[in-house]
Amino acid sequence: MPNVLRADGITVKFGGVTAVNNVGLSLGSGEILGLIGPNGAGKTTLFNAVTGFAPMHSGRIALLDRDITALPAFKRTRLGFGRTFQTERPFEELTVLENVLVAAFLTAKRRSEAERLAMSVLEQVGLADRAHQPALDLNLARRRRLELAKALAVKPKVIFLDEIMAGLNPPALREMIAFVGSLSAQGLAVLMVEHIMEAIIELSDHVIVLASGEKIAEGTPQQVTSNERVIEAYLGTD
Amino acid sequence: MTKHLIGLGVLLAVGMAYPAIFPNNLTIAISVLLFAGWATSWDLLGGWNGQVSLGHASFVGLGAYFVAIGEGQFGLAPWWTMAMAAAVAAVLAYFWGWLTFSLRGPYFSLSTIAVAEILRLVAINEEWLSGGATGVFIATLPEPFGIDLFSRTAQFYMALAFATVVIATVIVISRVRFGYQLRAVREDEDSAMAAGIDPTATKLKAFMLSAALTSIGGGIYGIVLAFIEPHVIFALLLSVQIALTAIIGGRGTIWGPAVGAIVLIGAGEMFRTTFAEANMLIYGILILVVVLFVPRGIVGELARRHIRRLYAKRAQG
Repeated sequence: MPNVLRADGITVKFGGVTAVNNVGLSLGSGEILGLIGPNGAGKTTLFNAVTGFAPMHSGRIALLDRDITALPAFKRTRLGFGRTFQTERPFEELTVLENVLVAAFLTAKRRSEAERLAMSVLEQVGLADRAHQPALDLNLARRRRLELAKALAVKPKVIFLDEIMAGLNPPALREMIAFVGSLSAQGLAVLMVEHIMEAIIELSDHVIVLASGEKIAEGTPQQVTSNERVIEAYLGTD
Repeated sequence: MTKHLIGLGVLLAVGMAYPAIFPNNLTIAISVLLFAGWATSWDLLGGWNGQVSLGHASFVGLGAYFVAIGEGQFGLAPWWTMAMAAAVAAVLAYFWGWLTFSLRGPYFSLSTIAVAEILRLVAINEEWLSGGATGVFIATLPEPFGIDLFSRTAQFYMALAFATVVIATVIVISRVRFGYQLRAVREDEDSAMAAGIDPTATKLKAFMLSAALTSIGGGIYGIVLAFIEPHVIFALLLSVQIALTAIIGGRGTIWGPAVGAIVLIGAGEMFRTTFAEANMLIYGILILVVVLFVPRGIVGELARRHIRRLYAKRAQG
């Protein structure tokens, strides 16, 4: 399968601390890559480096074989990246529809066109009936879906999901898992950072395990969950 | 959008009739209109885009000096010099923004104070051009279609046209892509970038447009004053007044800055006649009241309640 996203040798340093050390990953269309690891493993840092929100020390990133290493985050978005934020960041003074409209305007120049796109994305994530509500008033599960709607409205080729399952109650979690599955079924490449193992095991085609900034294991969900180094990183040793 | 355009139509209609109805209250009406236009221009950057400028007197002054010097030394008509001032204001905004917009936090606001201060010092020291500290007179003006630009009525209509054009610009921007980019950058720069928006480019465009519009009002102000002194036109007080007009009226709303102009100039005028020097006291009290009770400004608070009521109604229905 051709790579949609490819990252090689990603290293991120904060002062003298190496947060991510020489990690690579690749992702084809319709594929779901899960990124897991204990707290502080560098998952979100790697995620931010790839999406352009954190400076990289070294490494290369390519989108559809085009080198985008030097591009700022907003240009990566224009070329096909969509992302959510771990703590949801709606534009609080805007309504739900306007929030998505901001992203829809990336590809739609005219307002009517942008509104159509935004509404169709809101329907997709089940927020259409909330379109005219101030974004500030949404509850957690709905804010998550708004994050997702904003990421989808830029019409991405790769979508980066940063812990969108965290804190959801079981029915909301089931819905979200089904939804992410449907995204990959539509051919979208998905990279997700997630703590909820249920979601990782059910959705991921491929899993990368980080610990202390190093890639310690990689493979199918079954392979990594039975890997001794992974169990050790999560549970510690005697 | 239609209801805002209707509002603008009403403003224009009332404005057209105003000089005939209140021929003796033109000067204060000119002040209200100029401040409405300046504060609305300021708000494009300060309210819609969240970048608070405390240096908009720079652009007012640029406009006024361009008109005065253009007329006095080069015999250029004010419409040409206003267009030139707008272009120069935009270029100045571009360079200033380019230097300062990469800094997050209050640095931009603080740095804007310096722009007006630099221009003031230039105007004081470059006497050959600006008349120095004593200032510069506008002695003659062309008479397009036989209109005497020194008449208060003509100046009123110029100020009315200025305020109308600026408010119309904001009405349009509030609906289109650029307007949403402005607001997205104000709300959250990272989130805006995730939507493909270049925050610095957005701020630069807003600053340039805001500066250019302000300078056109500055040109009209120059004609109204007919005598321009650097310490008055480039005063920090003027910059602060412009910002406060928008803040008190309601940042990031279409009508807030105009309402702020009516309230501030109206109150200022009323209290000046009764309390003379208490002018500044009124500003102080108004700021306190707004900060404590209506932090979104007058129109900002009304608009928010309206949106919530609308939503509550829809949710029930």
